[in-house]
Amino acid sequence: MNLPDWVEPTVRYMAEEGLKGTLRIAAAALVGSAVIGILLGTVLTIDFRPTRWLIRLYIEVWRGLPILVTIFIIYFALPSVSSRLRFDPFTAASIGLILWGSAQVAEATRGAVQSIPREQHEASAALGFGWVGRHAYVILPQALRRLLPPLVGLLVNILQNTTIAQVIGATELLGTGQRSVERLTAPPPIGTGEIHAFEIYAGVMVVFFSISFPLTRLAAYLERRLI
Amino acid sequence: MLAVSFDWSFVSDNWRELLAGLGRTLEVSAIAIAGAFLIGLILGAARAHRIPVVSQLAAVYVEVIRNTPILVQIFFLYFGLPELGIRLDGFTVAWLAVMIWGGAFNTENFRAGFEAVQFRYREAGEALGFGPFATFLNVTLPIGGRIALPPSINTYISVIKNTSLLYVISYQELTTTALNINALTLQTLETFTVLAVSYLTIVWTLSALIRLLEARLALPKEAR
Repeated sequence: MNLPDWVEPTVRYMAEEGLKGTLRIAAAALVGSAVIGILLGTVLTIDFRPTRWLIRLYIEVWRGLPILVTIFIIYFALPSVSSRLRFDPFTAASIGLILWGSAQVAEATRGAVQSIPREQHEASAALGFGWVGRHAYVILPQALRRLLPPLVGLLVNILQNTTIAQVIGATELLGTGQRSVERLTAPPPIGTGEIHAFEIYAGVMVVFFSISFPLTRLAAYLERRLI
Repeated sequence: MLAVSFDWSFVSDNWRELLAGLGRTLEVSAIAIAGAFLIGLILGAARAHRIPVVSQLAAVYVEVIRNTPILVQIFFLYFGLPELGIRLDGFTVAWLAVMIWGGAFNTENFRAGFEAVQFRYREAGEALGFGPFATFLNVTLPIGGRIALPPSINTYISVIKNTSLLYVISYQELTTTALNINALTLQTLETFTVLAVSYLTIVWTLSALIRLLEARLALPKEAR
């Protein structure tokens, strides 16, 4: 099969720059969301109103706002509050996704922690564990098992939402696709003078589908196996 | 202390444009939600009753939409399709993109709802002499629809939030309007405060509605 000349350099650029950027943002967002979300979700199970209300507010705000608006606030509004809060597109997009993702994880963690039977708390307290030790060594390891399916589901959502970083100019798959379309549309010698938007955006969809589909299957499988 | 003060004249100067943007957000959302409701109802029923061909096609539709980013779908409809000679204007892409997305998620909501209806109820419907369609209308839909309603409202909330992505095709909904005003006035803090408060008001109102409906529509114990 003979591919046209423009295909190979475009695919290489989108894979080496774009896909790499997408995976970097997704990795940062997943780790940040999981760490902050599990922490907040665990603290949320403590029966102390001020912390509960604060964490509830955090969850409802970042779940309620469109991620695009959150990322705009971080990228455009924070620098006007303080010049130290100026972030590059990669960081701004990662923070935006972490705020949203950690809110999702916190809610799921709360449910998972509360699903662990009372006896586990009592038994570990009887063994002399304090609150931190009880949760770190006894409760969370069991809760994590139940958290695994929603975390895989979250990874799929994070991967798809990394494309929103395109809007503030971060280098990721959709952004490199769009730049490729624009360059190829330019007359030779820069581009081809032809529009290849259909092929390129269809290609971006195929790449996302081939990463996401196995992961959604995995999440469904884990849900059946672990619960 | 951060030197931050809120300039209220921002609201009095720009409320007309902002309100028009909010109106377009709600207009596009309303069309998309109505469409997503019908798609979810019909394809969800086809999936739950395993109607040949339709059910398989619906499964492909659901998996493709759920496993690709909606932003890429919007790019595809608006920038990709014209290459094939299919040219859609901004408004059409706006409601179509979020409707297709919401329809896929709603198909799953309704499928799960209909499949949760116990088989003995459908048997009872048939025993009363109902045909398959009448059984669906009188038994499966009232029970399964109630189960599917709260998650489907969650999908509608996401549909409304996703209309903000129409910014990339410069459709003048709330987010695009607010960013244009920001570019002219540079009143960044005011712009984003108004924008965030608007979205949170809509989303939190609908979330409260879900909780209310969940309490009101909960099936009596014997029907579960």
